[in-house]
Amino acid sequence: MHSTVIKPILAVYTGLFLLFLYGPLLVLAILSFQTGPEGGPQFPIIEWSTYWYQHLFGLTPPSRIAPLPIEESLVRSLVLAVATMIVSTVLGVSAAQAFRTRFRGSGVVFYLIVLGMMVPGVLVGLGMALVANTLGIDRHWWGTAFVLHVVYTFPFAFLVMLAIFNRFDQSMEEAAWSLGVSPARTFRKVTFPLIFPGVLSAMLFAFTLSYDEFSRTLFASGRDLTLPLAIYGTFSVEIHPNVFAFGVLTTLFSFALLGVYAVLMTLSVRRAKRVAIQEDA
Amino acid sequence: MTLDLELRTVGKVYDNGTPAVIDFDLAVTKGEFIAFLGPSGCGKTTTLRMIAGFESISSGDVLIRGARVNDLPPERRPTSMIFQNYALFPHMNVRRNIGYGLEVKGLPKAERDAKVDRIIATLGLDDVADKRPDRLSGGQRQRIALARGLVVEPDILLLDEPLGALDANLRKAIQNELKLLQKTLGITFVFVTHAQSEALSLSDRIVVMNQGRIEQISPPHALYTRPNTPFVAQFIGRNTILDGEVRGLANGAAVVETPLGVLSGAANGPVREGGRAQVVVPAEAIEVHAAVPGARESVAAKTGGNVVAGRIRRADVVGHVSHLSVDLPGGRAVALEAHVDKYPPGAFRPGGDILLAWTPAEATVIPAA
Repeated sequence: MHSTVIKPILAVYTGLFLLFLYGPLLVLAILSFQTGPEGGPQFPIIEWSTYWYQHLFGLTPPSRIAPLPIEESLVRSLVLAVATMIVSTVLGVSAAQAFRTRFRGSGVVFYLIVLGMMVPGVLVGLGMALVANTLGIDRHWWGTAFVLHVVYTFPFAFLVMLAIFNRFDQSMEEAAWSLGVSPARTFRKVTFPLIFPGVLSAMLFAFTLSYDEFSRTLFASGRDLTLPLAIYGTFSVEIHPNVFAFGVLTTLFSFALLGVYAVLMTLSVRRAKRVAIQEDA
Repeated sequence: MTLDLELRTVGKVYDNGTPAVIDFDLAVTKGEFIAFLGPSGCGKTTTLRMIAGFESISSGDVLIRGARVNDLPPERRPTSMIFQNYALFPHMNVRRNIGYGLEVKGLPKAERDAKVDRIIATLGLDDVADKRPDRLSGGQRQRIALARGLVVEPDILLLDEPLGALDANLRKAIQNELKLLQKTLGITFVFVTHAQSEALSLSDRIVVMNQGRIEQISPPHALYTRPNTPFVAQFIGRNTILDGEVRGLANGAAVVETPLGVLSGAANGPVREGGRAQVVVPAEAIEVHAAVPGARESVAAKTGGNVVAGRIRRADVVGHVSHLSVDLPGGRAVALEAHVDKYPPGAFRPGGDILLAWTPAEATVIPAA
């Protein structure tokens, strides 16, 4: 009865959702195949070409359009994202582990941690710049910006791990202890393999959030730009489809990352399913 | 005589001030099978977890083979715990699961394998030894958990409702195995359950707990036939409990005046003349007599006056068992069951008057709460 009404509504909703999610991306992708160097970032497509992709890699004859200044900033962003991912995940797992037992003031600490993802990025970035100036610290992407990236992504990793631990069956650890396994070894050999899918998710969150972080980095990174800042910098002059070409490549990179995540996830979820079956029986 | 396990006025108070276990005293000799029995929330699992080291001990001492273990972490106590949900390691195969405790202890591989093989054979797990535990049945998994807990040769095996997740038939089978295993190995078992049939059929002694306190510690038969407290009387078995006032005490027998008449039974506990008391009559002790004229006097002469009148409310036969539901004066009901030969169908009709009688020795008189 309901499904005759609700199903079409849901279908339309889902369609719109997908449209708004992938629409912009699709437009960018199409425009990235505009001919160059005379073609601009607008319809119609004068002629299909891979000119802007070649331009990106410096394979085109020199023209008035300068190559994207992304090489160094890409490396910076990747290094920053990996470092942020490692630190935030380690912090997130440890903090969530600590929260498995209620301790005095745990409520306050919880909100303090989560605040890191709530506060407006521009303000935090600006604040960090002011603090750095006051204390006479040089601003760098690997220093001040890195700290802000960790503050920003750590709560995400923490919340993911909190959810994972929430569903974790503690008797598995107790069984190990009662067999004479030390708590440290139990964590490495029993707990960690079982929470690994969650750790992967936390890592993915931290990496992607850091990789395209803009507002915090804007004020805190100093002279050397990260990738989002470098790309934004090119906008202020004139936009060419080479930015779109780069956008497509980055997106493909993200998909590849998701692919790796999916493979690792399937492997460990297969294991997690066994746990679930064991609990249900 | 050396004690395997001793609890001296052990207490547990939670951080929010709620007492979970109060003054728990128990001494267990080697090779004993002890059951902690009680309704959920009575503190039995908390006590077990204090022995295992998973819960801190708020007061009192826990001693294992004479050594105080209060401050030892679980991995350094000579105990193994078996969990209701088995708690097997899903990322290890059966053999590795079982051998993990020995592996961590650093036993040489040859010695380890020999021990694991032996316990695998004992518990009939040869067929599944190289499988992952996830696809196995509940019974097999609980056997694996037992093997894993026993192979490290603990002084005491702690079992937390280990049969709770199994279906009824399997539960019975594993129960028998468990009992046999315990007798063969001679290891002390402490077993937590809320199912009295499990406690009664498995253990050497049962500790009945209620609201954090021990109500009674007795061997199964004594617990069943001679409850010490009103809680035990209504928790264990199928007893009819009649309140009254003690009128006389002689040679361990008490005479109690109840609304259903003056009844007598074996006094258990601090029963005193003139005090409030309860007469506890097990359903198994009750004999049914036809309420023909003069029957009351003749039956009373044989049962020391323990006769009450009743009216049949329902009579059913299921297979070989007859069930009678009898209303007593004052609105109380008694459920009786016996072989169909004893209560033949048709002999008892709903609405019929009968007499219920029992010998004084089979009834117990305890002080009222």
